Amino acid sequence: MDRGWWWKFGFIVAVTLGTIWFLIPTYYSLVVLDRDQRNNLAVLEQRLPAWAPPARYRLNLGLDLQGGIHMVMRVDTKTALQKRTERRGQQIASYVNDKKLGEVTADTDPEQLQLTLKAKDPATMDAIEKEVLATFTDFKRVSRDGATLVLSPDEGQTNRFREEAVDQAMLVIRRRIDKWGVAEVDVRKLGTDSIQISLPGRSNPEQAKELVGTTAQLEFRMVDDTNPQFFAQMLQQTPPPEGSNITLTQEGGFPQLSSPSREALLAYVKDKTPEGREVLTECIANPVKKNECSAYRSFLVEKNVPLTGESLAGADASLGSLNEPEVNLAFDAQGAREFEKLTEAGVGRRMAIVLDENVHTAPNINEKIGGGRARITMGRMGARSFEEWLGEAQTLALVLKAGALPAPVTVGEIRQVGASLGDELIKKGSLAALVGLALVVVFMAIYYRKSGLIADVALLLNGLLILAGLAFFNATLTLPGIAGFVLTLGIAVDANVLINERIREELSHGKSARAAVDQGYDRAFWTIFDAHVTTLIAGFILFFTGTGPVRGFATTLIVGLLASLFTSIVVTRVITTYFVHGRNAQRVSV
Amino acid sequence: MQILKHKTNFDFIGKRKPAIFISTIINLAIIVGIAAAGFNLGVDFAGGTVVELKFNHSVSPTEVRERAQKGGLHDVSVQNIGSSDENAFLLRMGGVTQLTEENATKAKAAIQGLGTITNVYPDLANGIINFRSTTQLTPKAIRDAVVASGTGVQEVRDLGESSSGHGFDYQVVASGMADKVREVLSQGQETPDFEQRRVDYVGPQVGKQLRNRGIMALVYSMLAILIYVAFRFDFKFGPGALLAMVHDVVMVAGYYLVSRREFNLTSIAALLTIVGYSVNDTIVIYDRIREDMVKYKGKPLAEVINIAVNDTLGRTILTSGVTALSLIGLLIFGVGEIFDFAMAMLVGIIVGTYSSVYIASPLTIWLDERAAAKAARSGGIDRQQPNAA
Repeated sequence: MDRGWWWKFGFIVAVTLGTIWFLIPTYYSLVVLDRDQRNNLAVLEQRLPAWAPPARYRLNLGLDLQGGIHMVMRVDTKTALQKRTERRGQQIASYVNDKKLGEVTADTDPEQLQLTLKAKDPATMDAIEKEVLATFTDFKRVSRDGATLVLSPDEGQTNRFREEAVDQAMLVIRRRIDKWGVAEVDVRKLGTDSIQISLPGRSNPEQAKELVGTTAQLEFRMVDDTNPQFFAQMLQQTPPPEGSNITLTQEGGFPQLSSPSREALLAYVKDKTPEGREVLTECIANPVKKNECSAYRSFLVEKNVPLTGESLAGADASLGSLNEPEVNLAFDAQGAREFEKLTEAGVGRRMAIVLDENVHTAPNINEKIGGGRARITMGRMGARSFEEWLGEAQTLALVLKAGALPAPVTVGEIRQVGASLGDELIKKGSLAALVGLALVVVFMAIYYRKSGLIADVALLLNGLLILAGLAFFNATLTLPGIAGFVLTLGIAVDANVLINERIREELSHGKSARAAVDQGYDRAFWTIFDAHVTTLIAGFILFFTGTGPVRGFATTLIVGLLASLFTSIVVTRVITTYFVHGRNAQRVSV
Repeated sequence: MQILKHKTNFDFIGKRKPAIFISTIINLAIIVGIAAAGFNLGVDFAGGTVVELKFNHSVSPTEVRERAQKGGLHDVSVQNIGSSDENAFLLRMGGVTQLTEENATKAKAAIQGLGTITNVYPDLANGIINFRSTTQLTPKAIRDAVVASGTGVQEVRDLGESSSGHGFDYQVVASGMADKVREVLSQGQETPDFEQRRVDYVGPQVGKQLRNRGIMALVYSMLAILIYVAFRFDFKFGPGALLAMVHDVVMVAGYYLVSRREFNLTSIAALLTIVGYSVNDTIVIYDRIREDMVKYKGKPLAEVINIAVNDTLGRTILTSGVTALSLIGLLIFGVGEIFDFAMAMLVGIIVGTYSSVYIASPLTIWLDERAAAKAARSGGIDRQQPNAA
């Protein structure tokens, strides 16, 4: 055998061993571990031998195979945008009236998302148009007809608003799921206005829907600052457990505990909280990935809830006298009385605005507030741009008003599979795949004899490569994925049928075994290549347009086709060459 | 071992006209059938709710249906799945939310009882009731009123005071059907005698979106493959490959149409795979035609194609056979969608093989003949006499 052959042979052996090595975490997670520990990466990491690949490279089972809930929530940004445009319209109208430019009325068209300004005196409209367009840069002129001016919100602005609304909704949903304590949740954006949530191992869709879809509980609660050093002392007395990453921060004047893990933080303070008090956390948003929390900070608040969101009549963001953003709150009659009492007793203290047991903000009470109107100023601008600063106030106002979700969220899709059904599907699916594989293997061995056996070896390697490839790309194996697996094995063996038929043909033309094999492979190569590429095209389009289980099918198909190109062309050729060249055989068994 | 012991010499090209004629008729019939009767659309595309239940004792579908109807679920179809001793059922509900026309009228009346209400309009498709009240209401009062009228409420949204100052806007979102199934069927039982194994709920808008995306995926992949074929081969081969693809997809769609099996996302995956497979099969023959065109220079194209198709016939049958073989396991053990997928693939493999031989290959001649005829008419040199057919 020549040197080139040995190189190729060595490469194939290395790939085979690497593939088997790479499947160790999968083997452990599916066979060695108990089924309720399957998703626990920490346990898996512990059980794996030191020389095995990292635990995260294990093959995930799709929700249809392991049981769980898949949900798609649609963020109704249209309603939110409509309300926003309406509000801006009123602001523009009062601006025009304040500036004594004339008198206008503002109307919104909910379908078109347009704002129509009508002037009482048509003569004033020219000046109004000029002033409004110069001041309210987030609006563009659509048309003007005498006393009527039609405006539409700037597309960049609306897109940013839309994106923010979806991001905000994602953050809220993530926080709520955190509260539920589900491991391995996956919350991600789907398209422009949808959020996809995967909850493995959960079985109650109503509960899940309620958790992510309903209005959050808004509460006003007093922060206990009687002992400002409360958390500092706690940390001194009992050092936090190793690895919990709990540290002390000083931001905002009061020492607070901070940790990247909410669970660790709450577990640490659990037995150290005085009677009638509770520790709540604030989510510090990740500056890069805005829908995730980079850290959680602690607040000591009173258990007593004097005021809830039910008493809140409205909330709006505006600019204060020093041009700093602020949020104005309005309470209903009973809420106003309650709020006055609360602020009178709490001057100098902080009041926490709590959403879903998360502290959203904790402003200082500067004075007794009567009349049912309150103002939250947005702190210092710091490193933010003015727009970001204002945006924060607007978000807070929306959050307060809509009860946590800035735009209404509706359930678009729910798919739930019970764990027992999942187990059954795995069993049936793998049995189906094995039967298909066995039939093909036996057929090839009988029909092509030795060449068939060689193709069978390649086919088995192909199967292993698909599983390892899926594990490597962190893809998920779904039920349609198993079907894709079977289908790919059919396509892979098809390549060997092509090659072997070609070799037979060349032999029938009286060529020598060696020449027939070489010609057979060379001639069949482009045919196989074209055939694979066309199916790959369909696979990629399916991958980019499909969701959930169908996407699992596409992934398996793509990985399988790539693996098939390698095994059915390279691997079989190297082995066949060994038998034909290496032993100087005059015959080839096809 | 060999499937075809001797070299075959069938005259495929000669039979192309009847083949294309019959295929065209069948295809048209399927398209008319789809337009007239439509698919049995699954929840993926139609929207709606499917619940799979497994009882721990033996029940008949009629009993399950009666139990559902007693609880007020009228529009339910109950279907036995698996063997009858498994006691597993699929419950299908067309309505997505509990806001049926009947419920909406009651809910509307209940809301109007809360005060001076204007602009109540129920949006049945999305299960939402919007309304405006001149006085401020609490979400709790609204929820209680609507629930008392018989519609489950998922959420009451306070949209705030309307900017024109005429009142306060509210939105009531009705609960989904799936919530009600468990509640209704377990009525009067301490622990339900069934397990809810699977729930598929798809909202109407998402259903429409998924459908459009599925159709676009099919069109895009056909275009992309066509471009690839035109690029790798000759433009001459393009239309044949495309028509064979369309033919195969329509035929498999015909399987879903005639069998009344559910047409859903997995069906789209099957159709897309068939697009890939169909071309795969066609390309192998085209490849050989191209090779033989060089080899037998001077022979009429029709003859060359006949030789190529005959030479690859053994492999064409074998390939289809082997791929079909791998599907047998899925056909035996696959349930529901996966069985349908395997069955659709099997149909696709059979018609794909047929169309590669009888449709894709002869069509290249047709194009060639047209080109030649055009050249003759315009007085060009008659370079190659097309085969008399």
